Amino acid sequence: MRGIIYRIVALVSVTCIILISASYADTSEGEKLFKTTCVACHTIGKGRLVGPDLKDVHTRKPEDWQIKWIRNSTEVINSGDEYGRKLFEEFNKVMMPANNFTDDQIKSILSYIKAEGEKAATAQTTPVPSGETPSGTEIKSDKYQFYLLAGILTVLIILFLILRNVVQTLAVLAARKKGLPVPETLPLGKDIMRWVSGHKRIVALVIIILFAFGSGKAWYWMLEIGVEQGYEPAQPIQYSHKIHAGDNGIQCVYCHFGAEKSKTAGIPPALVCMNCHKYIKTGKQTGTTEIAKIYAALDYNPDKGTYGNNPKPIEWVRVHNLPDLAYFNHSQHVTVGKIACQTCHGPVQTMEVMRQEKTLTMGWCVDCHRKTEVALAENPYYKKLHEVLAQRLNKNTFTVEDMGGTDCVKCHY
Amino acid sequence: MKKYWKSIDELRDTPEIQKLKENEFAELLPVHSVIENQAENGIASSRRDFLKLMGFSLSAAALSACEAPVVKSIPYLVKPEEIIPGVANWYASNYFDGTDYCPILIKTREGRPIKIEGNKDSKITGGAINARVQASLLSLYDTGRYKEPLKNGQPATWDECDREIAEKLSSISARGGNIRIVTSSLASPSAKKIIGEFIQRYSVQQAGDELTAGAEPDSAAAAMTQKFPANNVKHIVYDAVSCSAIIRANEKFFGKTVIPSYRFDKAETIVSIGADFLANWISSIEYAQQYGKNKRQIKHFQYEAALTLTGCNADARIPVKPSQYGNILLGIYNIIAKETGAPVLSVNPVEFSGKIEKSAMSLLGSKGKSLVVCGTNNIAHQIITNAINQLLGNYGNTIDLNNPDLTRQNDDSSMQEFITELKNGKIDAALFWNVNPVYSHPDGKDIENGLKNTGLTVSFALSPDETSSAIQYVCPDNHFLESWNDASPKPAHYGLCQPVISPLYKTRQFQESFLKWMGSNSDYYSYIRNYWKENIFPQQNKTVLFETFWKKALHDGIVEPESLILSNTALPVVETNNVLVEESVGKISGASEKSGRFEIVFYQKTATGNGSHANNPWLQELPDPVSKVCWDNYLTMSPKQMEELGLNMRQGQEEVADVVELTVSGNKVRVPVFPLPGQTYGTVGLAVGYGRTVSGKVGKGIGVNAYPLLRLEDGAMQYESADASVSVSVGKYNLASTQVHHTMMGRNIVRETTLEEYSKNPKAGNEETVIAMHGGEKLPPALVNMWKDHEKNDQWWNLSIDLSACIGCGACTISCQVENNLPVVGKDEINRSRDMQWLRIDRYFSSDEKDGDLDKMEIPSDAENLQVSFQPVMCQHCNHAPCETVCPVAATTHSTDGLNMMAYNRCVGTRYCANNCPYKVRRFNWFEYDKYSKFKDINPAQDDMGRMTLNPDVVVRSRGVMEKCTMCYQRIQDGKLKAKREGRPLKDGEIATACEAVCPTHAITFGNALDESSRVAKLKPDDRKYTLLDELDTQPSVFYLTKVRNV
Repeated sequence: MRGIIYRIVALVSVTCIILISASYADTSEGEKLFKTTCVACHTIGKGRLVGPDLKDVHTRKPEDWQIKWIRNSTEVINSGDEYGRKLFEEFNKVMMPANNFTDDQIKSILSYIKAEGEKAATAQTTPVPSGETPSGTEIKSDKYQFYLLAGILTVLIILFLILRNVVQTLAVLAARKKGLPVPETLPLGKDIMRWVSGHKRIVALVIIILFAFGSGKAWYWMLEIGVEQGYEPAQPIQYSHKIHAGDNGIQCVYCHFGAEKSKTAGIPPALVCMNCHKYIKTGKQTGTTEIAKIYAALDYNPDKGTYGNNPKPIEWVRVHNLPDLAYFNHSQHVTVGKIACQTCHGPVQTMEVMRQEKTLTMGWCVDCHRKTEVALAENPYYKKLHEVLAQRLNKNTFTVEDMGGTDCVKCHY
Repeated sequence: MKKYWKSIDELRDTPEIQKLKENEFAELLPVHSVIENQAENGIASSRRDFLKLMGFSLSAAALSACEAPVVKSIPYLVKPEEIIPGVANWYASNYFDGTDYCPILIKTREGRPIKIEGNKDSKITGGAINARVQASLLSLYDTGRYKEPLKNGQPATWDECDREIAEKLSSISARGGNIRIVTSSLASPSAKKIIGEFIQRYSVQQAGDELTAGAEPDSAAAAMTQKFPANNVKHIVYDAVSCSAIIRANEKFFGKTVIPSYRFDKAETIVSIGADFLANWISSIEYAQQYGKNKRQIKHFQYEAALTLTGCNADARIPVKPSQYGNILLGIYNIIAKETGAPVLSVNPVEFSGKIEKSAMSLLGSKGKSLVVCGTNNIAHQIITNAINQLLGNYGNTIDLNNPDLTRQNDDSSMQEFITELKNGKIDAALFWNVNPVYSHPDGKDIENGLKNTGLTVSFALSPDETSSAIQYVCPDNHFLESWNDASPKPAHYGLCQPVISPLYKTRQFQESFLKWMGSNSDYYSYIRNYWKENIFPQQNKTVLFETFWKKALHDGIVEPESLILSNTALPVVETNNVLVEESVGKISGASEKSGRFEIVFYQKTATGNGSHANNPWLQELPDPVSKVCWDNYLTMSPKQMEELGLNMRQGQEEVADVVELTVSGNKVRVPVFPLPGQTYGTVGLAVGYGRTVSGKVGKGIGVNAYPLLRLEDGAMQYESADASVSVSVGKYNLASTQVHHTMMGRNIVRETTLEEYSKNPKAGNEETVIAMHGGEKLPPALVNMWKDHEKNDQWWNLSIDLSACIGCGACTISCQVENNLPVVGKDEINRSRDMQWLRIDRYFSSDEKDGDLDKMEIPSDAENLQVSFQPVMCQHCNHAPCETVCPVAATTHSTDGLNMMAYNRCVGTRYCANNCPYKVRRFNWFEYDKYSKFKDINPAQDDMGRMTLNPDVVVRSRGVMEKCTMCYQRIQDGKLKAKREGRPLKDGEIATACEAVCPTHAITFGNALDESSRVAKLKPDDRKYTLLDELDTQPSVFYLTKVRNV
């Protein structure tokens, strides 16, 4: 019963994650700009980071001032603006980098901040959704089932032994009562053997069933070889995706910038970490120990703010390993297919330690290619293909497979 | 009961026997080595233990295979701005190694150069490239390279070498000693300037002066050397294969010490006397590209002894002896002189069944649009060639003396002078850059001995060679991919070379070494930048800021005028020219055939050239386009002559070539003989560039060195000799050839026609194939097949190969090899027909016999009217693929875009597909070429450095799987993805297969046949289009266009 409850909880959480990721994919320009530019230093309603918390920022200063400030804060400060200077002093004299956004772009960022701030305010009054159930739920329920079964089996064996004893005792008593010769009580092993020799057909049937069951199990076990689902290696730095991608809402591609342009998403260079950690020197969970490892790698002196000349690269343990024989391109899926990262990587924003969520087997890839419908109409590249497919297959929605997405050569060459 | 016993002891049952009986085997199994410790402790291990151990280790291996290895991922700490891991960057640069010049683009991945292709913006080469330039990539990653400076063979530091060399140079200079700088031809204007400054610095006149480097402009340096002709510091330009006679002839004839620019694209008639201008003669990459531009309009006559690549492509090839070259030129001259009213020379007429007359009339017919070139290094020949071209009015039209080719400056006589001085101990210091005279000069031995007695010897060699091994200081140069450089192949044409990788070893550019030794602290980058600022920037007026100009030059790799200016200035007829011509007649008439002797020509192979690339396994394995032999040089001889000499003419794994003793002017070498139809009867040919004694692990000891057989005549190195003799067979030697059948056996494989017939009927030579049915009716194959057609979407990748344009150079084969991580398998495997190149170029000699006698079909026609055809063959991507139906595991199937796919990891290696393939384009991995020790010395993928050339987008196949051309699917994917990301339709030409990208004559066209606007779709309905073996109706996606000859 409890297994079922856990399953329901897991299902709900996965649904929530899908809903969350779906809302991630739906981005307005302001949100996109905010998440690619501002999010490294600012939060909306989650406290100050490098720069101030931007919740209700629209109430602090008039919009034209904000536009000037966002575009080039240095100019504003140098013009002798008192509020600007105060902010600059308050936030450790860290200058916000200038940019060349248009007025409309800045306005869209501001309206996004406003909207997000209001959302956060309402969210505080409503209970937190169940997306925060502990990770690894399914694995735990599996274990639970195993103990349950083992328990039941033990009880049954004990029951069997007791009943056997009772039956034997009763048989002896009955024989004595009837004055018949007392039947010989056989030891357990011999007793079983006698039963077996008396029921050859049943035994054969059981053996066949067991063999078939065993072979099936073995087959599936073999299919699991090389499948590293759930792989959760310890990393040289206890980096938490939950804090960065979940709590702070940093876009995946802010660090994994390769995903939009390259076949590999890439692990960010340590200098990307320094965009924020030049200022954020203490972590929420691990204090200074883990952030110090970034500094050590770059040979950075946080007190003086200088880089030395003895950097040592960080040896991360790769979590998602596709074999070399398979070609996979992130940009095809992220930029062209507009697939959310979570589809293949799971709810990364909830993971303290990065984990391989999916099987990454060929079957898993092909399965998705068979099911996923492609938005052909959105990309002019597919214009002719769309026409040809509509005519050839006489339907309106097309899967990746319809376009040749399950050809061997698409991934193997 | 009877008792059987083996020995008396056993019969007696001694205690020893008792003990032995307990053990099953009289001797223990050799498991001690497996469990040595136990054996040492006196524990006897039984077979059971052994099996236990075996079983354990097997299961351990199986279990450990289940556990995925931990893969480390190490990102950049500080990522270079331009690098995105997984995305290739292309950089523009230029290649010049003293022989081949071409502007190039270099593909790098994560900072590693992995491929070189031509720069299509170049007005000189138009993106053409050859096999050698592409393969030069591998020499960057050669583990045999010099890794640090050496002093007397021992590792030294740069500081030590710099100090000692500078000191020695100063002291030599102070006492007026002779310093010689020997380099190959230079194309770099700034390097020329540095050498000029160096000469100035160490000349007697300037000794002791505090001259700062870079202060004097180029002209001043030149003026200085002009002013004091008896200078003690000299720059000697030495090329292994020389063309100094052209320079000398032009000096005498026009007063210009230059090699002109030839315009093969402007010519309608080309007559070449022994010039292999498509593969090896001067700027062959440029010429091949020009030749390919309008090949069908060109009428090309080739007079030559050994069959060259150029000869194979000629419309009329006339096999002649080298001693006849001069008389042929005179014959042509006289006919033209007679027609144009110039004085006729009195010579004995030569006759080649009217061919000379025909050539001369054709030249006259296209006056001003014709071109006569002569490949010999004979000044008299070149003077007559000049005279013919002048009579034809070709100067200013097809030959440009005012915009000369600046890539050759060598002078054989000054090199000879240097050798004499060296022998006499008059040289105090000798510096060698990019030359290897100990190997490539006939007096190599003298040079080697002379160097031992020279006070200071310095070599800038990249990797060990014969010369650098005999030298005190080796100051290794950077590889060109690690260097800054510039080039000026023609006046007002500049190329800028940039490094695409930091130096891998402790090497330094030779220009920088020169700067150091002149006491300059400037690095070469600043020097070159300054040079460009002062000399090249002012030549243009488009950009105002130098910084912008410099960046654009770096980006483009070239700075060229808007269009190629052809200087039309008419050349004055010089009075003395007639005297020169008369003189030359005398010289030519003096040279005559020697009876009873062979004549020999020394040529360069298309792949290996002059031997500087000998250590390059890609080039060694690239079959020679003409003979199809790789990994060797050999004596080429006409089959008729071989029959007379009783030499073996069959080639194959079991058929071993005969070795003969070749004697040229008293020098003897032993060399195998290869039958080559087209070789003039009475002549033999031998390739230079082999027989290296010091040249890395690959190049050492391949073939024989032909350079010692050369001789100097009239101050120019001669590549022909009339004084050769060939002995009878003195041994056997195995030659490896990728093609052992040389004719089409009467089949319609290469379809060809003549221009005349083609203009009458565009389908000439391309008759429709029909299949006779049992009822007597004849149907096209497409109507009698049992296949269902594959459904297509919007893409169907097709490849068109124009056999008229293909010159058979092999650039595509190397490009494919580099792009698709093809292994190098070595001579032994080639001999077993296990070559791994996905793209082969079949070469067919025409056979006179059309049908009937099979034996006669096998023999190519005799030399007189020999015709050669080239046909690149890769996987034809059949839409009715015979391979797909026989694969038991469905490893090879058909894709929706019309390609025949090959899933390596599904393949179990039955090789049924290869058996069923009518085109024989499938290659089987017999070994793990990247691991197996047999290929240790030849396959570059065996070491960590060589592996850097591997294309990360293509897998390296393992043992036991079949592989073949994928039509560069990685490039298709890349091109498609780019268009998808940008949200636009795919453009035709955006995706190029590796073979198409490098073809100098644009014979290969790739594209989407379902896109009506694509080039390939437009070629498909062409009347010349046919598919290979179309009677089988395999419906290939690769199609060919009939070869049209202008005979």
